[in-house]
Amino acid sequence: MLEFLIPNNIVCHAVEAMLFASIACSVLGVIITHLNISSIGFTMTHAAFAGAAVGIFFGLDGTIAAILASLTIAAILGPLSEKARMSTDTILGVLFGMMMAIAIFFIAYMQYLGAGFNASALLFGNVTSLYREEIYALAVISVAAVLFVLIFFKEITAIIFDRRIAEAAGIRVRPIYYALLFMIAISVSLSLNIIGGLLLYVWLVTPAAIAYQFCTTVRGLFLSAPLVAGSVSVAGAWIGFQYSLPVGPLTAVAFSALFLMAVMISPKRRVPTGT
Amino acid sequence: MVGGTIDLAGIYTAYEGSDRPVLKNVSTSIASGEFVVVGGPNGAGKTTFLESINGMLPITHGQARVCGLDVTSHGYAVRRRVGYVIQNFAFDPLAPFTVRHVVMMGRYGLLGYGKQPGEDDRQAVDEAIHLLGIEDLEERPIGKLSGGQQQKVLIAQNLAKNPDILLLDEPFSNLDLCTRDFISEVLTGIADAGCTVVMVSHAFDALPTREIRILVMNDGHLSLDTCCPADEVEERVRTHSGGPHA
Repeated sequence: MLEFLIPNNIVCHAVEAMLFASIACSVLGVIITHLNISSIGFTMTHAAFAGAAVGIFFGLDGTIAAILASLTIAAILGPLSEKARMSTDTILGVLFGMMMAIAIFFIAYMQYLGAGFNASALLFGNVTSLYREEIYALAVISVAAVLFVLIFFKEITAIIFDRRIAEAAGIRVRPIYYALLFMIAISVSLSLNIIGGLLLYVWLVTPAAIAYQFCTTVRGLFLSAPLVAGSVSVAGAWIGFQYSLPVGPLTAVAFSALFLMAVMISPKRRVPTGT
Repeated sequence: MVGGTIDLAGIYTAYEGSDRPVLKNVSTSIASGEFVVVGGPNGAGKTTFLESINGMLPITHGQARVCGLDVTSHGYAVRRRVGYVIQNFAFDPLAPFTVRHVVMMGRYGLLGYGKQPGEDDRQAVDEAIHLLGIEDLEERPIGKLSGGQQQKVLIAQNLAKNPDILLLDEPFSNLDLCTRDFISEVLTGIADAGCTVVMVSHAFDALPTREIRILVMNDGHLSLDTCCPADEVEERVRTHSGGPHA
């Protein structure tokens, strides 16, 4: 898609993949951070990670297996997070530990068997060997994430303001919430190969957290988060290739540094001076 | 505003994941335009009572009809006609929501998916903001307001949807005495205009000077259902707040 700008095919595919993954994750990330369900996003990224490891072990497509695993977790987490009287945090902690254990078990076992499996791609991402279909799938999910926000903008803003107040206002909170979990599941599964299971969480939370330091409107948040995520991801991919550095970890570090700077210079955190 | 009716017939309400009902066999009928105060000790089921009326909590037995609609099968439709001012709200001081935006959210349930607020919605929001006297706060972030100002904003949000019934959970809890009187006047005005008002409260010094219907709850049961002048409400509630058979 961007071949007219970047003649090198590998770099071009990497930039496209990073761009689409960052748009999808950051747009959904704005909702995730405001609903205080970061731990749900965290658990789902690790479910995708575990699903991919299990799928590869059984000779299945890693991405399809990741989607199935994260959708299963989404189906469990939806009803679970609505039961206010249950300690969701504890159960998320258990699920997260279980997903991580499954992923590590299968990765270690494949390495023990000498199955020729490279675990680092699943852990930290790999942007050098992407199929065109993977990039198209990411493009579709990033467009779907943007459309989801555009169509349900007012419902989403009410829900992220206060879920109970939104429900009391007559908004159908549950379908929107379940659609959000579904979109997160698909987005993290498709982004897994590019960003890696251990770093994906950074894309879900940090761009939204950076945008939050500056934006005073919800519209501003939904515009700024993907802009920040896209710019940093594209720059990370380009610099990574130029200097032969690992793209995913490099971009994750850049996001974290930018977040610290944003907190320091945020106008929202400035204490008013004067008497 | 067109007042709405509430008809509860032997309802039981339990929280999801619990088999112990909070409301037990509650039956009452509230007519259009009534001003109802719900009293009783902490944990008696007062908030559960309100959230059973608007269908936010599931009714496990019995039947509830609000504005002529069955609450169990038409929860969303009921909530579009019933305002509910919640208790225990807390907003992030950095949250990107202005007062006007929050009041407009009261209209969102009426609009449907994909539709943006129009001139009618903006007018309803203007009127609600004017009624609560918060014009000067319109463009300020809600998280930076005092508890009392936030309470006014939430009342305005619910009035913006022109409810047939207004449910309020401890509306005076964050307010100073002057603001209590002001809110009391506002509530009297909307009740006079025909809106049914049902209010959970422990503060009886700011009730409107009109006949009040009192419901006293004890351990999930209704232990008193009567009418009296505003200045007798506190004594009646105290007398009947001892236990289910007091």
